[in-house]
Amino acid sequence: MTANKKQLNYSFYPGCSLHASGREYDISTRAVFKALNVGLKDVPDWFCCGATPAHNVDELLSLSLCAKNLSLAEAVEGDLAVACAACFSRLKTTQHHLKGDDNKRKQVETAIAGPASLGKPVKHILEILARDFGLAKLEEHVKKPLMGLKVACYYGCLLTRPPGVPELDDCEDPSIMEDILRALGAEPVSWSHRMECCGANFTLSRPGVVLKLSGAILESARLAGADCIMVACPLCHGNLDIRQESIEDRSKTSYDTPIFYVTQLVALALGVSGNKLGLESVIVDPRPLLMSKELL
Amino acid sequence: MSRIGVFVCHCGENISRTVDVEQVAKAAGEIPGVAYSCDYKYMCSDPGQNLLKKAVAEQHLDGVVVAACSPRMHEKTFRKAAQAAGLNPYLCDMANIREHCSWVHEDKKLGTAKASDIVKLMVERVKKGKSLAPIVVPVTKKALVIGGGIAGIQAALDIADAGHQVLLVEREPSIGGHMAQLSETFPTLDCSQCIMTPKMVDVANHPNITLYTYAEVEKVEGYIGNFSVTIRRKARSVDEDKCTGCGICMTKCPKKKIPNDFDQGHGMRTAIYVPFPQAVPNTPVIDRENCTMFQSGKCGVCAKVCGPGAVDFQQQDSFSVESVGAIVVATGFKLYSIDRKPEGSPIQGYGEFGYGTIPDIIDGMTFERLASASGPTGGKIQRPSDGKEPKQVVFIQCVGSRAREKGISYCSKVCCMYTAKHTMLYHHKVHDGQAYVFYMDARTPGKGYDEFWRRSVEEEEAVYIRGMVSRMYQKGDKIVVMGSDTLVGVQVEIEADLVVLATAVQAQEGADLLAQKLGISYDKYNFYSEAHAKLKPVECATAGIYLAGACQGPKDIPDTVSQASAAAAKVMTLFSKDQMERDPVVAKVNEKYCVGCFACKKVCAYGAIEEKEIRDRQGNLVKAVAYVNPGVCGGCGTCQATCPSKSIELDGYTDEQIMAMIESL
Repeated sequence: MTANKKQLNYSFYPGCSLHASGREYDISTRAVFKALNVGLKDVPDWFCCGATPAHNVDELLSLSLCAKNLSLAEAVEGDLAVACAACFSRLKTTQHHLKGDDNKRKQVETAIAGPASLGKPVKHILEILARDFGLAKLEEHVKKPLMGLKVACYYGCLLTRPPGVPELDDCEDPSIMEDILRALGAEPVSWSHRMECCGANFTLSRPGVVLKLSGAILESARLAGADCIMVACPLCHGNLDIRQESIEDRSKTSYDTPIFYVTQLVALALGVSGNKLGLESVIVDPRPLLMSKELL
Repeated sequence: MSRIGVFVCHCGENISRTVDVEQVAKAAGEIPGVAYSCDYKYMCSDPGQNLLKKAVAEQHLDGVVVAACSPRMHEKTFRKAAQAAGLNPYLCDMANIREHCSWVHEDKKLGTAKASDIVKLMVERVKKGKSLAPIVVPVTKKALVIGGGIAGIQAALDIADAGHQVLLVEREPSIGGHMAQLSETFPTLDCSQCIMTPKMVDVANHPNITLYTYAEVEKVEGYIGNFSVTIRRKARSVDEDKCTGCGICMTKCPKKKIPNDFDQGHGMRTAIYVPFPQAVPNTPVIDRENCTMFQSGKCGVCAKVCGPGAVDFQQQDSFSVESVGAIVVATGFKLYSIDRKPEGSPIQGYGEFGYGTIPDIIDGMTFERLASASGPTGGKIQRPSDGKEPKQVVFIQCVGSRAREKGISYCSKVCCMYTAKHTMLYHHKVHDGQAYVFYMDARTPGKGYDEFWRRSVEEEEAVYIRGMVSRMYQKGDKIVVMGSDTLVGVQVEIEADLVVLATAVQAQEGADLLAQKLGISYDKYNFYSEAHAKLKPVECATAGIYLAGACQGPKDIPDTVSQASAAAAKVMTLFSKDQMERDPVVAKVNEKYCVGCFACKKVCAYGAIEEKEIRDRQGNLVKAVAYVNPGVCGGCGTCQATCPSKSIELDGYTDEQIMAMIESL
């Protein structure tokens, strides 16, 4: 095979979180694509997908926000890559609803003053790594295997659910995160709370709920002997990382469990320097753990 | 000129609501060849039929059209009435203005016009109709019963007791089915084996019953009264005639750690085995996949210790062809499994319950084996993982059942009752234990059923929680059950030692394949379809084949036994005469024009067309033509539509009749 320039190209919908609290996710995603020599180009003029609030208030609004973003994405070559689990869920949900409901599609097309383009595949970073790029090839690109790192893969609510919508993996018993980690040389642990809710948006309105739910996740990961937790959602990250101190205060247990974005661990294994992954900007400092495993 | 009578029925308001029946009768009277027409509120009632009989006699009618419901409903009724009045019954036809018209239309004007058209068509058909005589076929008074569970056993015993020969075929090495696996039975808590095993022995000893166990139906040909079935008798590797059932082979077999299906894989058996001690017949089978002799050619201990020399490693599957007049299908059910869904299946598994990876989450049948005195624990309630007695047991109902999102929308009918029974058995055996039940509804219709369920709640102290379980996971040696109590509106978390799932009742493995062999229909869940949900609950649409038990849909023991006896009664009715009459609506070949292309033979779904040689007086072959066996012909008319030389015709639906119908419009 000839040494082609870039064999894979993607359009990229970062979403608001990746420009704010989830900045490390953005940085590390771009680093991974660069290291794998895969093209990633931002959708021009993308804007908020509506996240949780929009679809709770007005279904037409939430579908229209995503539909408009999907039609903007047509301007860029390649399937649409999404990192944030919530954006991914909203974009996939919009495609799912509009494909199956002509009336709704017409309403949305009136709202966005143009045709709804539903043809472009929306793909989560996980499936791009595991399927499009491929696990075997990913393994070949590993420069620094994550030997000895015990990771609890945390899927949360939105990546695989509801059935029939995200089509990322088995709804209740997925393995795509574990598969990627094994390719990186890390050791995914078997644990109970991979699919439980972290409390999500209640972090602002009813933090007590989040402390309880996220606390259960941290406790379960600890019992399973995990060194850290890996996530693919900025909101889950926030709840497990930023709220970790409050959880510790409440449960009188010390966790000190670093929370990684999937792309941070992938980038590390691909040999990207730890200084370029935003490791310093999270609350629970992951650097001591990485140093103890000689990964930094 | 014909003298046809047209009788238009109101069917109460079923027809008259959307069809102006008086107008239809009036218009019919104006059709050339119609000598008489009238309308009546209930034409099928006695006065209605008398109206028809009187008109035939007084008006000298030579044909009758009854404009009413579907011929499937009342064709027989009216043909009988016409016959009583001296008319050939096949000159009486139905114009279906109910199912085909009034029930599916709203506009009365259009409905009336369509009803008149339907009547016109049928008048033309009857005008060109011929008198036909029913076909008489002999009846072989021997029944085949497929499946040796309680349904098959009951049906076989009833038919045999009536003096008829029965061939009972069972796939497994022993009869008994699921009922033999149960511990106690609701609502009386009598021991399942105690009421089941005597019946099994009766089957074995009955002079009119031939029992083929470890056998399967391979092929079915023929028709009501005259089926020919091929049975595959799988190689037992033990000669049934020589074996005395002493069991020494099993005690000496060195392979002793094979999970026993009868105990849901929780007990162990040897490679040469009977599934359970009360098996009928008490003749062992060698499980070739697990037998050292078959796998490596060394061992043969069982053959060495067998006194009568019954062990036969060379035995092959054998086939026997049997003639029977009726078939009772009683193949039972299987239980849904929460495993990952098989490729291509619409039925989902339960990832939220770990897809069956947690050892102390068991199904109801496994609990039956744990509670059974003959089970792997001798009736002690011990959980599979470490043999400890569970102190907190969670029972979950409707696992798979009534869960459209998992692929099954029906209710499995037996689970509410057997879960109530389980809580009782558990409480009787573990006095300091606590049972919890997650349920959607408690469905307990049946004699003594609700009282039984209440007893579980009120006297046996089971805690019923109305709600479903969202997730279960292993935490140390406990199983955390997360669910909701929808009556209180709170989330519930229980740390259980054992979880018992009331999994859905599903059609038996391979039910669809057997149905295809038999030519009977089945629903999307592979349960066999009865001919009429209310009025023909044990008959199949295919004549001569009857249904008993859970192969038709989830059923408890009392219902199964009732249905089995009902199916047996139907068989006895069939066997009450030496010959039976069949409708003469069959295809006939015009041998003069038939060119012997046999296109008809290729399309015939019933295998009714044979090749017939026509020879001259010297015995020289003149030509080969098609011949339709009237006993086998299903009267579908496919051959008629296919025949390029127009030399095959269906009586009652000749080309002449059909052309006349079309031209009348």
